[in-house]
Parts: sequence; structure tokens; C-alpha cells
Amino acid sequence: MQVAYEPQPGTPIQELDTPCLILDMAALDHNMDVIADFYEGRHSKLRGHSKNHKSPALALRQIQRGGTVGGVCAAKVAEAEVMVQGGVASVFVTSEVVAPPKINRLCSLANQAEILVACETESNARDLSRAATAQGVNLGVVIEQETGLLRCGVQEVEPGMALAQLINSLPGLSLKGVMSHQMMAEVSSDREDRATEAHRLIQPVLDLREAMIDAGLPVEIVSTGETWSYDIAGDMPEVTEIQGGSYLVMETSYDYMEDFHLAGKILTSIISVPRPGIAIGDAGARAVCGIKGLPRVEGRPGVEAVDMDADRTVFQVADGAELAVGDQVLLLPGQQDAMVSRWDRFIGIRDGVVEAVWDIEARGCHN
Amino acid sequence: MERPIFQPAGTPTEELDTPALVVDVGTMEQNIAVLHNAFQGSASRPAAGQIRVRPHVSCHGCPEIARMQLAAAGNSGGVAVSSLGEAEAFAAADDDISDGDGSSAQSGPIDDILIAGRVVTAAKIRRLVALAGEISLTVAVDNSSNINDLSEAAHAAGATLGVLIDMDAGYGFGGVTPGDDAVSLARTIAGAPGLTFNGIMTYEGPLPMTDRAELEAETRRRLQPILDTRTALEQAGIEVATVSVGSTYSYDVVSQLPGVTEVQAGVYPLMDVETLRIRPEFQPAAKILATIVSHPVAHRAVLDAGHKTTGPDFGVPVLEAFPGAVATRFSAEHGILDLEGPATDQLMPNDKVHLVPFNLALCVNQYDYIRAVRDGKLIGYWPIAGRGRLG
Repeated sequence: MQVAYEPQPGTPIQELDTPCLILDMAALDHNMDVIADFYEGRHSKLRGHSKNHKSPALALRQIQRGGTVGGVCAAKVAEAEVMVQGGVASVFVTSEVVAPPKINRLCSLANQAEILVACETESNARDLSRAATAQGVNLGVVIEQETGLLRCGVQEVEPGMALAQLINSLPGLSLKGVMSHQMMAEVSSDREDRATEAHRLIQPVLDLREAMIDAGLPVEIVSTGETWSYDIAGDMPEVTEIQGGSYLVMETSYDYMEDFHLAGKILTSIISVPRPGIAIGDAGARAVCGIKGLPRVEGRPGVEAVDMDADRTVFQVADGAELAVGDQVLLLPGQQDAMVSRWDRFIGIRDGVVEAVWDIEARGCHN
Repeated sequence: MERPIFQPAGTPTEELDTPALVVDVGTMEQNIAVLHNAFQGSASRPAAGQIRVRPHVSCHGCPEIARMQLAAAGNSGGVAVSSLGEAEAFAAADDDISDGDGSSAQSGPIDDILIAGRVVTAAKIRRLVALAGEISLTVAVDNSSNINDLSEAAHAAGATLGVLIDMDAGYGFGGVTPGDDAVSLARTIAGAPGLTFNGIMTYEGPLPMTDRAELEAETRRRLQPILDTRTALEQAGIEVATVSVGSTYSYDVVSQLPGVTEVQAGVYPLMDVETLRIRPEFQPAAKILATIVSHPVAHRAVLDAGHKTTGPDFGVPVLEAFPGAVATRFSAEHGILDLEGPATDQLMPNDKVHLVPFNLALCVNQYDYIRAVRDGKLIGYWPIAGRGRLG
């Protein structure tokens, strides 16, 4: 039985056991408000990606706050199950699902919520159709178009059109539209740079949309854009949904997106000060995630993370700065997505006190 | 929590749902034998008989594997972990797990644990002392205020806590400098009620030398100050029962070092890319089974395993031998294989591949279950009880 740490609401941050994953509630609320305010009254809405927080409570919090389609994206079937069980009414699995047992599980979910899934091949479309028909359910299918990630998706309009025609003809499936992912080649905080890059990358999926509409095929959903392009893609008249996820917890590698605040942080304690100028913390890569390098230290000028192994971080402490054994340090991660997926709980902190504790229910839901 | 599609014992490995952390038990048993056999006394290796293996089980987090290590030759009778939470998890692990094929799953509690990390906060020290009432518990220290706090708590609870002084042999992640500081700390511990001074320890750090002579020289260079500190302690009249050092990188150098009493090796049962480069006498036993979900263009295939299922913080996993295919890029949910030659028309959706993790601890940390297989068939799901118990 897993014994995950669960402090009582009202506990001061100074009394928390470390290492632990905390969510700055003011930053979380701010990030949710930015989304709610931006999409209010717009033709497009956010479909928040649940792979980033893996928590139905947070998914529902954003849906209630506004600016969303009323549903979420998920990366995995098991993640979608957790979201549906948690009360989310519509889930879009934005990865291709090809393994037969997973397709069966996906179809079972379609009895309980609206289920959409990405698709890029005719054989996968046939497998989805067969399973949906056998279970007597309907799956919404969205064609994935490759737009610069060099990953999945149809490469050109022509095969995309052939796939659209097939999906539209298959029983158990409803052709819903098109989707794509993209990242900036070189990050920039300048809105004009972001706009130029977003328009360039997203164009192919809009081309596919246009061809489908010209052929009389249904395109109810055009799902694209991410945290870095939420305000660009969200303004494109053809786009109906944005797949943002990182905006919620945030990470230092998204510093250039100044609209959002860093909400997810690792609280660590100093366990050793082996010599002046050096201190060792009790959180390493297993806690913080080192995929995008060392974490940044919050609110302690002169203290810098200089090395990290699986379980510890080495801090350099400049003259004038002090760190003693037992002191707490807040670490800001370079990558939130793979960090959150290593934790069982978010500890929500407002004004230095625990306000809420949320299970990261889909932690480990890889299948 | 992981939500696997649980499949019955006997299911062929290739039919397991993915992504999955799969351990080949036969390979693991061979790895355990290779390392532990270096610690059996023999005529040609007379010193080694005095040195024992203390498996560092944070690397795999799995009590079932720990029990197999503790059943192998040359073990110390106890394990090492990184954190108090892991110590609690291993101490509490059910001792009746069977590996499902009727062969010998070792039973019996894990009741001798060394916490190689530090326990400094008041709340943790309370838990530590509680656990010390249940099992033989030893903790590493590197400063006197921590010693005072541990002593007060242990004494008040009527518990006895073993203590090792952790030293920095050049790795740079804490520990006292070998020499006088350690002698002074040992005196403090010896006079502290509730504490027993057991000796000294270090992790000398990863030793990524492919040249055997260099590896041996560097291991000896790093450990000599630790051995000198042992001598200094004994000259000061302080008995040193335990000198706990080394790793899978250095095990057979350490096994020949007079003055060492135990080696804290951890990666050897399952292995990873990082350690295999230096220690080819072991075989990779832990692999990530992944499914091809896309082959959108001839030279690229996409896996359903990414950051969250491989833990590539310190390096990317390596695709097991498939001519013309190389794992090159990982994102949160996906891995990318670059393909050339005959591989361009193989590796189609629903095909499965194996990846060897770059760093074992970071990979295992992503899963709740090991899929244990023998001779290509599933024998059981082994809980990774230590996963996530970082505090």
C-alpha cells in the first residue's frame, strides 16, 4: 500500500515534510483566470491537456472557471479513464491508440462520456470502427496532421483526405475534424515572432480542413495550438480548440510566456552544509525532474543549484547568503509535465498555509 | 497509480500491454550471482571473504528483488536505501510474495536497513526512531547538531539507532571530509545516549572509466582517505565495525581492499546503459517494452514510451539491437526511432520493441509494477513498494 504524504489543510509550509510538490494557489488561480478571460466570448476555447496535471480536480476547476470547451485532452487511455471517472464529460485522446486491448478500453469509456481520439492511418481507423461497432458505441475521430514536430500525423493533404473519406464511411465512428501539435523552433517572448511561427506551423492543418470542407466532409473540430500559442491560435477563425496544458503548472523553460506564473514547485530541505558556500538539499532528479536541466531557486538571492543526482541537489551559496541544515528552499522546475507524473499529490499553498491537497490520480497511468 | 492491463501468468512478453517495465528474472539471477560470487571467500581471493554485499535497493525499489539479493551468497543480511520513506516501505513489505512459478521466492522480513541519506527534520526523526523500535536501523550522519537531535529522540524513545559517518570521497554531495573531522564526530556519537557508532561510509561517485586499470586506480585513490580515517579512528581507540563503500562500478576493486567491510552495490541485478558501458560482465535485465504507434514516413517510427516511462533525465534509453533502428528523441509521451535500410519497412504500428534504460533508478521511479518474466513468459507483477517514497 502506497503511503503518500498528505498534510492537513491549515499546516504552515514550514512544517511540511520534504521533498514535496506544492502548487502556489495564487499562481494557479491567475493562470486559470488568464485562460478564462482570454477565451470568454471568443469562437475558440481551451481544451486543457490533462497529461500535465493528471488530476480530475484541477481539470474540473478550470472547466468551472471558464474559457474551455467543457472537456479535456488526455495522452493515454488510462489517463482518459481517470478523467471520465472523475466526472469530466468529454475527453479527447490526442495520441494514436493502436493496441487492441487499449482500443477496447477506449470504447468502453464511450458509454460514459464523449470520447474523441486522434487517428493517422486507415488500418487504425478500421480497428477503431470494428471495436466501436462491436461494443455498440460511437467514437469521435480527429485526423492528426504533422505540423513540424516530426512525430505522428498524416504528412500531406492528400492522404489526409483519403483517411477522412474512409473515417466518414465507417460505422461506429464520427469524423470530427483535424488536429496538430507544434513547437517553436526558437522560443521567443515577442508576440509577433510567436504569431509568425504559429501561422507558419499551423497552416498545413488548416489546408486539410479546407479540403475536407470543400469535399463536403464534416469539420466540427480544429484542435491545435499550445501554451505558447494560446493567444495566436485562439484568434485564428478556423481554429475551434486549443490543446494547452503547460500553462497551468508552468516551468522555467516557458519563462518567455510571461502571461502565466510558475505554480508548481518542489519544496526541499537542506540536509547538509559540508563546508561554507555549499549546501545539500533532499530533492534530486527523482523529485524535480532533470530533463530540462537544473531547477531554479526561488526567493533566495545568492543561492544557485549547481549539481543534482537522483536524490540530492548541490547549492552554491554566495557570500552574504545563508543556508543552514533544516532550512527550506523552493525549486522551480525546468519541465513540469514529467515532474508532476512522479508525484502522488499536489499540496496547494496559499499565503504560506496548506489550502488543499489533490491526488494526482492519473500518476503512472501510462497504458 | 499505474493502471496496467493485468494479464495472466504465462502471457508471452511480446503480448504484454505497454509501456511496461519488464524484468527478465533469469538474467537478473545471473547478474546477482556474478556480483555476489566476488564476495565469497576463496583461496585466490582471501580478503574478499571478509567483505559483504549490502544491496542498495533504492535503484529498483522492489522488495521481491531485495529478498533475492539477501538470499544470495556474500550478502550482509541487510540493505541500504536513500530515504526514510524507502526504509519504511521495505520494512513494511509483505514477505509472502511468490514469483508465481513455484520457484524460490525468499520469505522473511527485511529487518536490517541502512539509510544512506540524511534524516534531519524533527518530524522525520520521530518516524526514524519509531522504525528503529521495529528493525535494526542505521542512519548516516555528517554533522554534530544532527547527532544531538538523533540522540535526544532515540534516548527519549528508549530506542537504539546505529550511526555511520558519511564522508565525501570526491563525489561532492555531502559528507564530512575524511580525517580529523570524522574522528571528532565519532567521539560525539560514542558519547551520545541512544546512538551506537557503527563506522563510516561513502559513495565515491560514478566511475565512468572504461579502462580497467584507470577504474581501479581511481577507486583506490578516492577510497584511500576513507581507509586512512578508519586507521585514525582505531588509533584513537574507537572501534570501527563497518566500512561501507563502493558500488556496481567498483565492486571487484572494493572486494580486494583490506579495511572495507561491505559494498553498497545497487544497479547490478537489473543494470542500465550507464553502468553496462563500464561493467559488461552483467546483462541488461530491466527493459521498457514499448509499442510502435506510428510509422508516418519511411525513416521514422514513433513509440508509446517517452519521458514519463523512461526517465531520461541523465541520458536517453537505448533500443535493443534492431539493425537500422536507433532511438534518438524522446518527448513527454513518445519516443522517436530513426530508421534506415531494412528497418524502414519494418517496425509497423503494433510491433513491439525493448529499450534499455539509461539510468535505472530514474526509470523504475516511473512505475508501480515490475512485470517479471522468465523464459519469455510473464510470472507476476512485482510491486515497486519504494517508488515515490522520497521523504
